[in-house]
Amino acid sequence: MIEWTGLSPDEARQFLANKDKSKRDKRMSLKDAVQKYVKDGDNIGIAGFVNGRQPIAIVHEIIRQGRKDLCLSYQSAGLAIEYLAGAMILDESKNSIKRMELAYWAHEAFGISPLLRYFSENGIVELEDWSNYNMSARFKAGSMGLPFIPCRSPLGSDMLQRNRATVMDCPFTGRPIMLLPASHPNVALVHVQEADIYGNCRIQGPLYTCPEIAMASAHIIVTCDRLIEHEDMVRYPNRVSIPFFSVDAVIEVPFGAYPGNSHGLYYFDEKHIPEFRGACEKARKGDLTALKEYYDNYIFGVENTAEFINKLPLSQIQHVQKAESGIRLDAAYTVLG
Amino acid sequence: MPKYSTDFTTQEMIVVAGSRTLPDNKVIFAGTGLPMVAITLAQLTHGPGIVPVFEAGAVGPSLSCGLPLSVGDSRTTYKANYLLGLNSAFELTQRGFADYGFIGGAEIDPYGNLNSTMMGSFPDGYQKPKTRLPGSGGASDMACSCERTIIIMVHEPRRFNEKISYITSPGYLDGSPNARWRAGHAGQGPERVITTKAILGFDDDTKRMKLIATLPGETVKSIQEATGFELVIPNDVYEFEPPTVEEIRLIREVIDPQGYFVKKKIKE
Repeated sequence: MIEWTGLSPDEARQFLANKDKSKRDKRMSLKDAVQKYVKDGDNIGIAGFVNGRQPIAIVHEIIRQGRKDLCLSYQSAGLAIEYLAGAMILDESKNSIKRMELAYWAHEAFGISPLLRYFSENGIVELEDWSNYNMSARFKAGSMGLPFIPCRSPLGSDMLQRNRATVMDCPFTGRPIMLLPASHPNVALVHVQEADIYGNCRIQGPLYTCPEIAMASAHIIVTCDRLIEHEDMVRYPNRVSIPFFSVDAVIEVPFGAYPGNSHGLYYFDEKHIPEFRGACEKARKGDLTALKEYYDNYIFGVENTAEFINKLPLSQIQHVQKAESGIRLDAAYTVLG
Repeated sequence: MPKYSTDFTTQEMIVVAGSRTLPDNKVIFAGTGLPMVAITLAQLTHGPGIVPVFEAGAVGPSLSCGLPLSVGDSRTTYKANYLLGLNSAFELTQRGFADYGFIGGAEIDPYGNLNSTMMGSFPDGYQKPKTRLPGSGGASDMACSCERTIIIMVHEPRRFNEKISYITSPGYLDGSPNARWRAGHAGQGPERVITTKAILGFDDDTKRMKLIATLPGETVKSIQEATGFELVIPNDVYEFEPPTVEEIRLIREVIDPQGYFVKKKIKE
């Protein structure tokens, strides 16, 4: 038996069996959604990939409300984790991360994660290392209702000494194979381009591991750049990436993944990401001034994402939209009034 | 106009070397950073038939929409032939659809095992390492399950060690016969290591790293001195063809004009 973080497979099954799966209007404010579904000590599944469709708006709201002793589960993440980590450095009594189950935390072209270095090199947060496929497959096992999933990698890696995977000889071929325990977060945070009021989601561009994270978790908060007519959603049933009955809350938040990339709508903000990352790098070296200023200005000093975006020059917002030219949204929709 | 460039940086050289190593008409699963730049250059030069795969889901895109800043960003999906997510991409590698994995790392040993997790003592120092690196990402999955692996990294003595801090992405493990098969790997392991100084491969019998070619300005001696373990030096080491004027132009003007991955000093 292993120690499960989040729900055990049997708890997850029982939880879902008792869940209200009705097709009802799930719109609510982001404040209420976070209040209702994100608790201290939760295992939180972070959707998106590095800085693509990270649930930034939801994370900013969590930071404003404050949550402690979180366990964060993700394959590769950037900004969402960096924001939570920055909040912890500024005031650990209000926001804190206890543990992370991860494959990668950095910002690719924008550089390494300053606060991963700070946390790990000072032994502040407990880490469990996996590969990208491992974390994706763990969510997939959860979404399949299976307690584990076999995987061929990374056998022979030192990661196996530090995570809960086990190696067995395959009963059918006799060769070694890794078994990964399923992941069932208490709540998944997901940002998509389009959703309807019932929670059906249509993801544009790469799906990352969003459908699996959503289907594996007990609760799901969805933010979307656009809330669209239900009729437009169900016109393409095989393009529904996350079905309504898995979702608990739907909130329309244009630019909800900013300053990251939301495929087809806006590219990375190549000015804002380095500005935030630079403040984190200073914090790693012991100077919190820039980081505190950033949070006071863009997170604590605003009520929501709309106010955050309002603080930025329109030209900068237009630039991230323009940088996405040539990328098509591949299904037509009517914006909900 | 002369064919060869006389004014290029080591970063540009490594991209050219990486690009030329990629065969046309193969499925190449590319990691972030230099592999993305090199595969773009290859697609624009000798390898229009290269099928790039990115772990966030894109298969067979045209990399003509600007250099992706992430293996998951919109630009990796332009005119892609198939696009789902991470699970589907890695399932392709296990099945055998990925001919090459193209990855980087911070530290390497003679058997091509790579570290991109931490520097310091392991396992005791794991929760408080000397330096923490970003982590595996998908590199370890590519190293295990793509049919062959091509590694690209900066050549410095501190990065080439007989024993590395942590094996993130397995190469030939301890180098013993059939080590990968016995570990359960599907793929055959590393084929080339492209560095800022050399093109390297692996000895067929011992699986230790061997020198294949020296890059412009380097010698067998300078390369051995920059390597923290003894290289196998065969008799047929040759000098690698310098970058052409056209290759350097493509990198500077078309692929990475902002210098996101090229020209920037790589620091872990």
